[in-house]
Amino acid sequence: MDAARLAKRGISIASILVVWFVVSAVGPETLPGPIAVATTFAEYVVDPVYWSAVGLSTARVLGTFVLAVLIGVPLGLLIGWNVVFGDFTYPALELIRPIPPIAWIPFGILVLPTLAFSLGFANFEVQTTVVFITFLGAFFPILLNGIEGVRGIDDEYSRAAHSLGAADWQTFRHVIYPGALPSVHTGMVVGMGLAWVNLVAAEMISGGGLGFMTWSAYTGGSYPVIFVGMITIGVLGYLSSTIVRYVGASQLPWMESAAA
Amino acid sequence: MSERKQTTDDRNENSQRTTGEYDGLRNGRSGHETGTEGRREREGGDGRARATGDALVEINELRKIYDPDGAHVTAVEDLDLDIGDNEFVTVLGPSGCGKSTLMECIAGYLEPTEGEVLVNGDPVAGPDPSRGVVFQSNRLFPWKTIGQNARFGPQMRNAVDDDRIQQLLDDTGLTGFEDSYPHELSGGMQQRAELVRLLANDPDIMLMDEPFSGLDAMTKELMQEMLLDIWEEEDRTVLFITHDVAEAIFLADRVVVMTARPGQIKDVIDVDIGRPRDSSVLTSEAFNEYQERASDLIHDEAERAMEQKQQETQEA
Ligand SMILES: Nc1ncnc2c1ncn2[C@@H]1O[C@H](COP(=O)(O)OP(=O)(O)OP(=O)(O)O)[C@@H](O)[C@H]1O
Ligand SMILES: [Mg+2]
Repeated sequence: MDAARLAKRGISIASILVVWFVVSAVGPETLPGPIAVATTFAEYVVDPVYWSAVGLSTARVLGTFVLAVLIGVPLGLLIGWNVVFGDFTYPALELIRPIPPIAWIPFGILVLPTLAFSLGFANFEVQTTVVFITFLGAFFPILLNGIEGVRGIDDEYSRAAHSLGAADWQTFRHVIYPGALPSVHTGMVVGMGLAWVNLVAAEMISGGGLGFMTWSAYTGGSYPVIFVGMITIGVLGYLSSTIVRYVGASQLPWMESAAA
Repeated sequence: MSERKQTTDDRNENSQRTTGEYDGLRNGRSGHETGTEGRREREGGDGRARATGDALVEINELRKIYDPDGAHVTAVEDLDLDIGDNEFVTVLGPSGCGKSTLMECIAGYLEPTEGEVLVNGDPVAGPDPSRGVVFQSNRLFPWKTIGQNARFGPQMRNAVDDDRIQQLLDDTGLTGFEDSYPHELSGGMQQRAELVRLLANDPDIMLMDEPFSGLDAMTKELMQEMLLDIWEEEDRTVLFITHDVAEAIFLADRVVVMTARPGQIKDVIDVDIGRPRDSSVLTSEAFNEYQERASDLIHDEAERAMEQKQQETQEA
């Protein structure tokens, strides 16, 4: 990227800070300014409590994201590919999809357990409510884009494969799967973003991680910490989406946009 | 090489023999050929195109009706056509007359609504590697490199012959592009690569749906010559669809002219121009005569097709 462009982007970020600074100077006392937040941030980055919240949230998102990919990609490809399989599964999934993540929380707290286990060197607790709600965020974009990806492949590619001697499963392997990948990739980028959104919602209510840190900063009255939490979540969400975007693009060298 | 020569000689002899047949037709008589040497015979008048005993593809009273949401589109109707072994047949027809539909029935993508398509005497029951297809739009797998595309058919059948694939890539000027993706190649190169992918699989029958229609005139001419070279080199039967009159005649042993929708056979033209052919043929008198005749046949149909199209857009 050239210097002029970098400068424009720098101005964009700087202007947010300026607006924040001005609003906090004239606005309500409960709104801390950038300097107060920066000071608190400096204290937090040397505090292991902060890093354990970062670690927990990141681990939750990564673990759930991998799970969502492992389930959502094959399921989406199969639903898009096989009409019968789609008829059996898709309507049920479509019914679940519009339920917002927050609406799942009471259900989760009532029904989903907290699993405790030990791996020898450390003890772990998995709050399945948080995992489940985070999973929904990542899962549906991946699933839907998988289905769309398959449906968007021109039939003639499958026909060509069959005429070249491919059996059905070979067509799936060599046409359906690679043909749907660009769309699946888009679904992963979106899904990664929504995983963070859902994670924070779930953590605020049922505990742990950056969501809980941010929420308890509010209930405890340490307002600059709210912003430390918000900024951390924003940066982590952005970083993880960007990683997914670049890793994905490097796996799709045949896309015209990737080559250009 | 000697084998190739022989095939070519055979063909030349053949075309001389069939000259009489063509004249007979022109005079409105049916030109029945007799004797073991006769490759084809035609029954004049009813538009039925026949090849004798060694018909590889036999299409009998084919009808295809599309029925999307109750709309009733008869794309092909009462179509009879035989294609002989090693014959090069072009299908010439106006836009929307059912050319692709015909090809898709032979390829095994579509089931005929009525009638039958026989290959080697057996009804077509789906796609098969012995019937290779080149599509109207380029259908190289965009996610595979040129090399991977070329190997695809043999790989599916566990019969990869690297030397043969390399030879085909060399012959078509694609050496060095094995690791390129299709979108990195020009239109002409993509079309050649698709041809390589097809030939690597060594099909008996090549079904080609307007494969060169997207190319510029120069590239198109080169591709036509290349295709003829390839066809003359090995025993292969070709059904080549086009709406380009000159292309239809330049390539064909026989040109099947179709009517506007519902697609039926309007007439069949035997092209008795010696082989091997190159672009010098295009300026010959014989070629011009064929071209005039085919243009006359297609002209009314093209007009009808256009009227149909206008009517449809008004209704919609
Ligand atoms: N799947 C389909 N459903 C409904 N109608 C169809 C379908 N496929 C083709 N048709 C119609 O059938 C007719 C013949 O189509 P076809 O594609 O075989 O024509 P074509 O001669 O190949 O045309 P073109 O020159 O445009 O390639 C057209 O009117 C087309 O609109
Ligand atoms: Mg067509």
